[in-house]
Amino acid sequence: MKIIESLLSRLDDMACRSSREIAQRSSRRRFIGKLGALMVGATAFPLLPVSRANAEPPSEMGDPQSCDYWRYCALGGTLCTCCGGSMTTCPPGAEPSPISWVGTCLNPVDNKHYLISYNDCCGKAICGRCFCHRAERDTPVYAPSKANDILWCFGTESRTYHCTVAIVLGEASA
Amino acid sequence: MQAFMRVISIVMLLAVQPSLADDRADYLLHCGGCHLPDGRGTPPEVPSLRDELGKIITIQGGRDYLVQVPGSSQAPVSDLVLANIINWILVKFNQQTLADDFVPLSENEVSNARKFTLADPLKRRDEIWANYVD
Repeated sequence: MKIIESLLSRLDDMACRSSREIAQRSSRRRFIGKLGALMVGATAFPLLPVSRANAEPPSEMGDPQSCDYWRYCALGGTLCTCCGGSMTTCPPGAEPSPISWVGTCLNPVDNKHYLISYNDCCGKAICGRCFCHRAERDTPVYAPSKANDILWCFGTESRTYHCTVAIVLGEASA
Repeated sequence: MQAFMRVISIVMLLAVQPSLADDRADYLLHCGGCHLPDGRGTPPEVPSLRDELGKIITIQGGRDYLVQVPGSSQAPVSDLVLANIINWILVKFNQQTLADDFVPLSENEVSNARKFTLADPLKRRDEIWANYVD
């Protein structure tokens, strides 16, 4: 018991001594100064032009199986979310087309525009569910790079269209 | 304190300046769908934008060609934005081949080159590459 007591009192002494030493060496003002600098520094950092375009949208709202979902503002086709896939992945057995068309949609949660890549999933007969036709900033087919009536099964084994995914590439404007 | 203010003002300037992030967004919106976000394309249908372009701008007519290809000249953007996107592609995807004394394309240069439509872009590409000196 005595051993434990002496150990504890030695610990107390050590803690007491070291805190007094710190108190003697450093001033409170210096601590506040450093804390202030840290706070200013921390607020300045997000202003740096880091690649904000990589940022995923902070939050989303709504039903990804509904045509009204914000990401689908320029999607013409069937939703992979209704066909065994997800917002970003093709259903099993369908091949994602590397080539896509890219548009922008407004995320109602944070009121920001995001770049959306519409990639078609190909190689299976068309999925019969959730056919959508929304056409924000859609162009006629004579301006094909922004036309959503075109089948975007390019660079795939098969040109048979199955469904479309909507991938967020980043914020449209920094 | 002065040094501190200087640092802060530089940070503010960096934040206000139109950053590369805008050029990247424009690239993704107008080019990235086919040329893919990293510029590698799906050759031969969609040419790669990586490292070839640093070479092509050293050839007579090569700078204009980058403006005149249909994907560039018909993109629904102003001459200034097109210049920024092409410069961004050159700097980001062509570090290996871009000359140290590379002069970025100007709005004026893009504006002049964009007036000429290529009747046969592939033929023009062959003509330009024929003059390439390694």
